[in-house]
Amino acid sequence: MTPEDFDRLQTLLATRAGFRLTRDRMHLAEHRLGPVARREGYHNVEAMLSSLWSKPVASLGWAVIEALLNGETWFRRDRAVFDVFSRELMPALTAARPGGKVRLWSAGASTGQEAYSLAIAALEARADAEIIATDLSRPAIEKATSGLYTSFEIQRGLSARTMLRWFEQVDEHWRARPELRGAVTFERANLLDEPADDRKFDVIFCRHVLNDLEPARRARVLDMLERRLVDDGCLFLGLDERPEGDSIAFRPVAGRKGLYVKAPSALRRAA
Amino acid sequence: MDEAADGAEALTYCMGVMPHVVLLDWQMPVMDGLAFLRRLRDLPNGRTPKVLFCTIETRADRIAEALSAGADDYVMKPFDGEILLSKLAEVGAVQSPS
Repeated sequence: MTPEDFDRLQTLLATRAGFRLTRDRMHLAEHRLGPVARREGYHNVEAMLSSLWSKPVASLGWAVIEALLNGETWFRRDRAVFDVFSRELMPALTAARPGGKVRLWSAGASTGQEAYSLAIAALEARADAEIIATDLSRPAIEKATSGLYTSFEIQRGLSARTMLRWFEQVDEHWRARPELRGAVTFERANLLDEPADDRKFDVIFCRHVLNDLEPARRARVLDMLERRLVDDGCLFLGLDERPEGDSIAFRPVAGRKGLYVKAPSALRRAA
Repeated sequence: MDEAADGAEALTYCMGVMPHVVLLDWQMPVMDGLAFLRRLRDLPNGRTPKVLFCTIETRADRIAEALSAGADDYVMKPFDGEILLSKLAEVGAVQSPS
C-alpha cells in the first residue's frame, strides 16, 4: 500500500464513518484489507484500492471501511462499569419506571458482547428492558445477531456459570440462548447520520467509540447522544474517554468511572 | 507457585500446605482433575482454595460437572493471561486488573 493509498483511506474513513485512522495503523490496515481483496477477487490490496479510487463502488467502499473499524470488545468489558449498571442503575431505573420499560442503547455495539452483557443483567434482575444495539459494521451486526461466539470469545468476561446459563454449545462455538437473543434488537446504524426515529433511552452505552472518532465529529456524536437520552438518563463512556473538550452537555458522576449524566445547561436547554 | 504432576501428588501437597488458588487440568495421570477436586473439597480446609480448571476439555456437560463438584470457574484452552487474570479476579483470588 502506498502512502497515497493510506491518505485516501484516511479520508474515506473520516468522511463516511467519522473514524480516525492514525498513521501507526498503516500495517494493520494492509493486513486487514488482504482478506477483503481476496474475497472481492483482486490480486492484492493495491489492485483493490486502485479500482476503488478509479471507480468508487459503494459496496466495496463499505467493505473496506468495515475491515478497518476497531471492533475490539468483550463481555462485561471493564467489570466495575457493569457492576454499577446491574447493582445500582437497573434497580433504580426499574423503581423509577413502574410498569414501564427501561430503554437501553448499546451504541457502537460491534459484535454484540456489550449488548448481551446488558441483557443478561436485565434478565437476571427480571427487569422489563428494551435493548437496542447498533453498529456501523454490517458483518459485526450479523455476528451479533447470530449470537455465536468462539470458546475464546465467550470466556472473555463471562464466568463459566453465566456462560452455561445463557449460552448453548454448538460444536466448537457457543450460541446465545433464544431468550437472550430475543432480549436484544440489533440494527445497523451510523452514529453520524440523523436518527431515523425519535426514540429516547434511559441508559446509553457508547464506550470505546469517541476516542476512535475524528475530533471534529465527536461534538456532533455527543450532541446526538444528549438528544437521545432522557433527562434523568445516564451515559456510559469508555474509562479513558472524556466528553469535556467536545461537549458541555454531560457531567461525570463522582466515584463512578465512565458514568455521565446530563449537565444542568443541557437540562435548561431542553426545558 | 508450585506444580504437581498428577492429581494424587496435588492432593498430597494440599494435605501439607493448603494453597490459595489451584489451577487444575482435567486430563492428568493417576487421578484426574475432577477426582482430585472432589477429594480436595472433602479435606479439612479443602473448601478454602479457589479452584479454576484450565483445560482443553470444552464440553458443556463436563464444565457443569466441574462446577457442581466445587470448581469456582473454568477456563477453556486456548486462553490468554488476560482471561485468566480476569477470572481469578472474578472469584476474588486476585485484585481486578481493570
